[in-house]
Amino acid sequence: MGRDSILKAIKQHKPDLLPLPEIDGARFDDDVNLLDIFKHNVTLVGGSIKEIDKTLIDQEIKKQFPDAKSIVALAEASSLGTISVNKQTNPHDLATIDLAIVNGAFGVAENGAVWISEKESIVRVLPFITNDLVVILSKEQLYLHMLNAYDAISTRDRSFGVFISGPSKTADIEQCLVIGAQGAMSLTILLV
Amino acid sequence: MSHAEKATIFNKNEAKVNWHDKALWYVREKRDNAAHNVKEWEYLRDLASAIKANVLSDLDTYLVEFEANALKNGIKIHWASDAEEHNAIIGKILDDNNAEKVVKSKSMLTEECHLNPYLEAKGIEVVDTDLGEYIVQIAKETPSHIVLPAIHKTKEEVDELFQEHLGTKPSNGNPEYLTNEARKHLRGKFLKADVAITGVNFAIADTGGIVVCTNEGNADMGSHLANVHIASMGIEKIIPKEAHLGIFLRLLARSATGQPITTYSSHFNKPAEGKEMHIVIVDNGRTEQLSREDFRASLHCIRCGACMNTCPIYRRSGGHSYEATIPGPIGSILSPGKDLTKHSSLPFASTLCGSCSNVCPVKINIHEQLYKWRQIIVKDVKQPIVKKSILKIAGSVLAKPKLYDFAGKSARFMLKYTPRFMIYSKLNAWGKARELPEIKNENFDQWYKINRKK
Amino acid sequence: MKVGLFIPCYINQLYPQVAIATLELLEKLGVDVYYPKGQTCCGQPLGNSGYEGDAKGSCQVFVENFKEYDYIVGPSGSCIYHVKKHFDIIEQTPEVIKVRNNAYELCEFIVKILGKTDLGASFPHKVGLHKSCHGLRGLHLGSCSERMDPPFSTEEDLLNNVKGLELMSLTRKDECCGFGGTFSVFEEAISVKMGRDRIQDHLDNNVEVITGADHSCLMHLEGLINRNKQPLRVMHIAEILNSSI
Repeated sequence: MGRDSILKAIKQHKPDLLPLPEIDGARFDDDVNLLDIFKHNVTLVGGSIKEIDKTLIDQEIKKQFPDAKSIVALAEASSLGTISVNKQTNPHDLATIDLAIVNGAFGVAENGAVWISEKESIVRVLPFITNDLVVILSKEQLYLHMLNAYDAISTRDRSFGVFISGPSKTADIEQCLVIGAQGAMSLTILLV
Repeated sequence: MSHAEKATIFNKNEAKVNWHDKALWYVREKRDNAAHNVKEWEYLRDLASAIKANVLSDLDTYLVEFEANALKNGIKIHWASDAEEHNAIIGKILDDNNAEKVVKSKSMLTEECHLNPYLEAKGIEVVDTDLGEYIVQIAKETPSHIVLPAIHKTKEEVDELFQEHLGTKPSNGNPEYLTNEARKHLRGKFLKADVAITGVNFAIADTGGIVVCTNEGNADMGSHLANVHIASMGIEKIIPKEAHLGIFLRLLARSATGQPITTYSSHFNKPAEGKEMHIVIVDNGRTEQLSREDFRASLHCIRCGACMNTCPIYRRSGGHSYEATIPGPIGSILSPGKDLTKHSSLPFASTLCGSCSNVCPVKINIHEQLYKWRQIIVKDVKQPIVKKSILKIAGSVLAKPKLYDFAGKSARFMLKYTPRFMIYSKLNAWGKARELPEIKNENFDQWYKINRKK
Repeated sequence: MKVGLFIPCYINQLYPQVAIATLELLEKLGVDVYYPKGQTCCGQPLGNSGYEGDAKGSCQVFVENFKEYDYIVGPSGSCIYHVKKHFDIIEQTPEVIKVRNNAYELCEFIVKILGKTDLGASFPHKVGLHKSCHGLRGLHLGSCSERMDPPFSTEEDLLNNVKGLELMSLTRKDECCGFGGTFSVFEEAISVKMGRDRIQDHLDNNVEVITGADHSCLMHLEGLINRNKQPLRVMHIAEILNSSI
């Protein structure tokens, strides 16, 4: 049906082969403080970020989310979890989660994004369906920009992964920015 | 109706035009600031453009590579030559899964294929879950902008719509309240959906995966909850390597809204355990556009909407004046390829100022393509006889200096001595709001003859 | 160096003072300038309306008129842009190529070829510069607000050297005025709205005189200003550069 006719039409209509450009990555290098830029951009995209001692993580989370009851904690640095999840967990069962605490694989300075793959979230929907999201991230794990970021995940086991930059947001009503659209209402990054 | 007629109607409410213009100009300024913060922005654009040009020149190979990798990962691949096939494929998947409820995230392709009415006719509940798309869906309208679908609506209008459809309280258009009410309502829809349909921002040949970008998280809420995820993509969404996302994701959100990246950039490579994932690869006129040498670069488009935000005509005429799925400058070079007669006024809805080509992250020569479409349209689409004959006569006069000299002098004579009411008649579009130049006694030719003797 | 003066059709017929200022300015700068007889039009209105095929005759006339000159200089960015960009519809003989390569907009010719920016002019007024799209984005007379290139402006370099002239900054530095040739009549409502918005920007920034290197934009703006009796004057940049107290 479609496949062969589409491929045939493309073969017939495509122009002569044009080369893929060489990417001169050095042109994007910049001698800047990754941590400062990352912090700046996390705040810019509506997230909050704090450098913290590893032993004080739970104390800090309790202070920030005193009312959180249903908590999924997948980061080993936190023992606040009240609900355990595994690969077989029905994602619908997470609809009433107040808080999810997950590890971030790494951060990207230029846009404040963190990479979270299925390895970190176990259930794909978790970082989206939770009301609030806390990401524990090592401050050693920062890259300047997205080209570096893709180098870092080039050999990963590919199933699902997401760059998350700040909390869910929309500006669809008269261009007024509202935090908390369909995904998590807040994003807190704790740097250790 | 032509673009000019629709634009004239839009301009009857000048306050709204001013609001629309300023709101979109603000997005353009945010884009400028974001781009200024990137070292080597213009080099990024060069790379993105060259990658897209390479893709088009080897598109069949990349599609086959993409398909093979996706199949290896357990994704089901479908091919659709046109909108009808696209809708039928999706209809069949829904039937196979006994699906009754569908949530959709933003996909201009499904708009192009008119998927919603097709599914609704089958008795399926379809909910658009991007807030802007949800607003236009309940208003029974179409998006007026590809990134900001409800930019034509005031918050008061949204307030009224939500009162009617969601039973909200009157709030004078409070955006936080309204967004939160929509969130609660859409939560229910996500949890009950059988199938989630999303668009595709990028399809990566060397991994067989796709990337979907949203700010709201709606594509993820839908696709991770429902048992079946269907993603629709145009054949031109392919990029060769995953590493190239490092170029495109740096450009996309900055160009679109001035954000450094969208909130969520989700990479789907395999269906989750026990779930299904389908990708529908759609032509629907794209291979025909590929055959048009002058216009094929329009297929570079990554749907950022920057050309709309910068276009002084789009900002002042609104997206609906284009009467096309994709409005604005990029729509004006894509749409004539689909239906030349229907969209024949669109390439003329431009001053050819070139700002669109300058903001385009993949460097589509939009304004040059508008010029080229004009040359085709006057040949292939019936033109108003007056316009046609005036310009034909002008062409022959301008080719003959003596005739031109006479015509120029007599035109000046006419302008100078014709009574004002004749020049400023209703037929004279120039004179409705503008004065004509004051006519001097002599033209430069005459002055030169008297004052310079070489 | 022999320079052929290109006076666009509408300037010849409607704005002879702009042509005179251009000629006098070039003479003042010591240029050996000639005005070839029998000039008509570059063909831009036809091309932009979709009838570029009918403009071949006027392209030939243009080349015939200017083939013997080292440079072709004209006070209108969009006409020069048309010659450089769209004269590909006629056979590319060595003469055609030479004319296209050597066609210059007035300001660019003065700055780039003559290497001058201070022309000894004086004009003690608050001036707003309208950067016409074809000059800016087509001929690259300056950096464009959309692109992340180092900032420069040919016209500003000249105006900043005019004694007493105060160059006012605008909120939208290079937005189109809405003229667009036949766009101005076929899309009348938007054209007028765009023009009015441009004028308001100049008024909001205390401009007394709007200038620019393309008189077609200025004709459109002047038409609106005169109809609405707004306190602004419109002058071609050649008139300002040619003025002295």
